Amino acid sequence: MHRPPVSLLASLLVVLGLEWLPAAAPLPQSNIDPTKGGVGDITGPYEVPDPKWPEWAHPYPKPGYIWGSQGGVFAESPNRIYLANRGELKLPEKVPPNFPGNWGFFNQQAATQPIANMVNTIVVVDGNGKLIEAWNQWDKLFEWGRGPHQVYISPYDPERHVWVVDDMRHVIFRFTHDGKKLVQTIGVLDEFGDNEDLTRLRRPTMIDWLPDGTFFVADGYGNTRVVKFNKDGKPLLKWGTRGTGPGQFNTPHGIAVGGSPPRVFVSDRGNRRIQVFDVNGNFLEAWPGIAPHSMMMSADEHVWAVDSISDRIVKFDLSGHVEYSFGQFGTRPGYTWAMHQISADQEGNLFIAEVFGGRTQKYRPKPGADPTQLVRGRTLMPMGGGTR
Amino acid sequence: MTAARRSSYAHAHAKACALLVALTVTFPAVASAQGRPNFSGTWKYASSVPANYPGSNGWGVPSPTLVVTHSATDLTIEGGQFGATPMKVVYKLDGTDTVWEGTSSSQSGSTAVVKWRTKASWDGNRLVLYTWNTALNQMRDILSLAGGTLTIVRATEQPGPSTNATLTYSKGS
Repeated sequence: MHRPPVSLLASLLVVLGLEWLPAAAPLPQSNIDPTKGGVGDITGPYEVPDPKWPEWAHPYPKPGYIWGSQGGVFAESPNRIYLANRGELKLPEKVPPNFPGNWGFFNQQAATQPIANMVNTIVVVDGNGKLIEAWNQWDKLFEWGRGPHQVYISPYDPERHVWVVDDMRHVIFRFTHDGKKLVQTIGVLDEFGDNEDLTRLRRPTMIDWLPDGTFFVADGYGNTRVVKFNKDGKPLLKWGTRGTGPGQFNTPHGIAVGGSPPRVFVSDRGNRRIQVFDVNGNFLEAWPGIAPHSMMMSADEHVWAVDSISDRIVKFDLSGHVEYSFGQFGTRPGYTWAMHQISADQEGNLFIAEVFGGRTQKYRPKPGADPTQLVRGRTLMPMGGGTR
Repeated sequence: MTAARRSSYAHAHAKACALLVALTVTFPAVASAQGRPNFSGTWKYASSVPANYPGSNGWGVPSPTLVVTHSATDLTIEGGQFGATPMKVVYKLDGTDTVWEGTSSSQSGSTAVVKWRTKASWDGNRLVLYTWNTALNQMRDILSLAGGTLTIVRATEQPGPSTNATLTYSKGS
């Protein structure tokens, strides 16, 4: 399906205001303070990204093919960044001379058509974007789905297992750090369960951990709940039903865990709000006015949410106050189209994976950037154990 | 006891044990299989199309007629619930996958050759059928039979909204 050019749509949105967008439910009062950041603050405290990053995928991963949707990115360190790719797509016979090298140029959104080739679904690059590892041995895992949804390492895991969420196969894979072994599958491959089923998931989306290894899964596109697991992957409890009330969800898509006492922050995307719970699923409060694709808990204990409506990155304190925001919809370098996962390394570099833009961008901090405006990645436990 | 009588006794004892083992292994499976329904027949859709049923180019939308053939080894469904074109789809009852290539409507409405896969398993007297294809269409049907009515609890997944519906079919000619 051909759509009007993105730039035209973006202009219309700016002219008409985002309120013009059809709403699935009455839009609650926005929690976003326009005096913090604002329209025009496109890359915030970061430089405009190099459009040729990562190097290995430009101009193309292989002749005639291009990356499709980028589901996830996780920066384990400044020189080890995991990229989760929803497969490669065949390029048209002729591409315009101004083709920038990312799928978003074609305005095809999620890039599931034509059917993507599940190749190079999980790759690891260094800070310059040079390929370190391609986990092609696992590409076949994604052939019956649409590729990896997101990728993570628990900050509390001394073995640094790599967790890959596959929404369309209804599971979460846990790999060894080097990718040589698949050590655990959460859920039942290809089988989807309903909200009451603790054995099966239904299109899970995101995951986050407590320091003791307990983890929480947003589940997800199909179900409307959060499932809590112990460190071994045994399901402990679940909460949530479909609806708009407290503790109810419509596409719980993102999750972040942190604070003292620890709380679970859930992106209730379809209801355009973030809901906050204790670790036993008791509802605490809701922050209306934002519909995040994804969220992350930063090292300085803030929730960074990427809004699916405005394509802005919003920094919340743990009480729901907006402290800063930046970003703008688009396909030019530094703009974003459907940010799906963000991650930051320990040097202040920010990585953003875009499912509709079809790229992952690396944002380097501007010299002298205000450190409170930088997304700070959580420090990971050193390999082998201990703390630092 | 003579050696010949001892040998004859041992032989009979071994036969009895073998028979007992065979019965122990076989009887529950036979009994279980006997209690399970047979879904064979031509079935006519008996209820209206559920609301909130977007499907994907016909995927998962109730077929007006289902022709079901249920044997000891597999179940075959012929109907129009697998997309725009009616298809005959086989589910093996031993829990193994059936995989083949065929056409499917894509999310954008075009038709492409994709891989298909099916799997079946019993859950008591209910038969759980999964159908997947690489155009990202997924369907789970839970079949049960009561009072001459075939009930299918259907759930579908695709990149768009999920669907859940209970469909009822009556025996047709």
